[in-house]
Amino acid sequence: MSGNDEYDYLFKIVLIGDSGVGKSNLLSRFTRNEFNLESKSTIGVEFATRSIQVDAKTIKAQIWDTAGQERYRAITSAYYRGAVGALLVYDIAKHPTYENVTRWLKELRDHADSNIVIMLVGNKSDLRHLRAVPTDEAKQFAAENGLFFIETSALDSSNVEQSFQQILTEIYRIVSNKAIESSQDNVQPGSGAQIIVPSVDDHTKNAGGCC
Amino acid sequence: MSLNMRQSAGFWKRTPAHTPSVVAASFGDDGSSSSGSMRDEADSAFDIPRSLSTAMPATAAAAATEKTKKTLLETQTAAAEQQTHSSPADQADRTEEQPSAATADPTETKFAHVLSSANTDLGQLRKLSWKGIPASHRATAWRILMGYAPLSLARRQPTLQRKRKEYMDLRDQTFSRGTSALDAKLWHQITIDVPRTAPDLPLFRNALVQRSLERLLYCWAARHPASGYVQGINDLATPFYHVFLAEHPRDALDSVLDDVEADGFWCLTRLLDSIHDNYTHAQPGIQRALVKMRSLVARIDGRLADHLAGEGVEFLQFAFRWVNCLLVREVTLDCCVRMWDTYLAEEDQGFARFHIYVCAALLLKWSKQLMLMDFAQIMVFLQRPPSLMWDHKDVEVLLAEAYMYKCLYDESPSHYAGDRP
Repeated sequence: MSGNDEYDYLFKIVLIGDSGVGKSNLLSRFTRNEFNLESKSTIGVEFATRSIQVDAKTIKAQIWDTAGQERYRAITSAYYRGAVGALLVYDIAKHPTYENVTRWLKELRDHADSNIVIMLVGNKSDLRHLRAVPTDEAKQFAAENGLFFIETSALDSSNVEQSFQQILTEIYRIVSNKAIESSQDNVQPGSGAQIIVPSVDDHTKNAGGCC
Repeated sequence: MSLNMRQSAGFWKRTPAHTPSVVAASFGDDGSSSSGSMRDEADSAFDIPRSLSTAMPATAAAAATEKTKKTLLETQTAAAEQQTHSSPADQADRTEEQPSAATADPTETKFAHVLSSANTDLGQLRKLSWKGIPASHRATAWRILMGYAPLSLARRQPTLQRKRKEYMDLRDQTFSRGTSALDAKLWHQITIDVPRTAPDLPLFRNALVQRSLERLLYCWAARHPASGYVQGINDLATPFYHVFLAEHPRDALDSVLDDVEADGFWCLTRLLDSIHDNYTHAQPGIQRALVKMRSLVARIDGRLADHLAGEGVEFLQFAFRWVNCLLVREVTLDCCVRMWDTYLAEEDQGFARFHIYVCAALLLKWSKQLMLMDFAQIMVFLQRPPSLMWDHKDVEVLLAEAYMYKCLYDESPSHYAGDRP
């Protein structure tokens, strides 16, 4: 029991996607470096945590792994609240799990914060001979929908570390930008109270005025 | 008012000496001829510090690994031995009171008598079963306690034959046009969950058993559209396969599997009938159970309830699975079966109501440790609780504690809450 560990940021992440795509093994690979071929289905939600370093800051990820079956949606969608990131996982060898990605995106739109950072994760990349979802197709879909994209294998651990690292780093950038912007806002006493949280691609655009 | 509750809860915590007498007295009420041995068990069961301090993790882990290596029948035999013969130390304790315990097994004899009488006395069977059913009688006792087999000995076999045939007809009809004619979504969910059902046990890695479980689950789900198949129901079928297969020699699997599947189907149906709203939309049965569990824990151990709330831990987060899967995932299958002996013996909805007390007792067991943990530590601890290393004796302590809480708090929502004069 390592007691009160210090951290600079605490980010809540949810793992979502169809049943059997490997969400729980992605989580156990990232948090405990474990993979279990005989894992059981997740009932409701499961929780794990791990800290990483970004720019000399300690970021603690609080990760909620959710059950994939539709019946659990009422329970699991409550966990989207407060989440700043979502890994939306599909199985590269099972096309229907990729087709359902749009339904999962809708779930996030309905229940999660509108600024949530989403990463599309094609898991089981070790199953090369069974691939049913071409990498380029998924990559393009992700780009069109403003999602980050990566292919992973919880089994041979390729890209697992990178996927979590990338989403946490991205969230960190947004949050630290937001902190700067809000502190700039604070020096102007007369300005309105509303602070617009930049979305992923906002900081590349100009906040140009209209007309 | 809340102060009163706290003090009362503290009173119970501080004076454990009171608890055995409460339980022993309650046990004494229902077991007439066997009250001696019941009390004996209750007393030893309440020797909590000793049983906990002697449970060495290393040996427990080794025993658990050994257990998985054993064949089905060996496991059953071991379980039977565990029930009938205690450790040398315990035997030494008991021989003073029961010198003949080693030669004859009074429990076996009592079960044999009750189950072979022309009309089984259900009350008597319940009383006997509450403290554990010997492996040799478990399948028969479970079928009766489930309300699946009749009390009448003469009608028992014919009824089973009829029900088994009824299931076979239903199954044949369901699968008559092959699996492609099935509800694809439902069938898909079942077929991806069956290989993930008790995968650590060789029995459930057997291909024949897996195909059987698929059929059973599909037949049940197709007949219960209000819930359909919900993940975790697969776990609930495992004790039935375990118990009903143990009646037969292991090499007979091929020839007995249909009967086992049929019995499993009807018993699972009975079981799920009593907790069906755990699996309907938004799972209201589980939500209610969690509310009750939380208020129960708050009344028994207010400090723990406050600590959990203070850390932001909700019962939904850790106890959802406890209710959804009836603790099948939190103890070994062998211990689960022992637990269900008692659930089945509970007169009024063991799986729906008594189970809540068992879950509360389970949580309270680790109160001391939990009080020192933060949110993340609590969650991680409760997701993989130490109960996975338990043996029958630990389970029996838990059941006795749950019984005590039930006696104290069932149907008395304002127990201890009222102002005192």
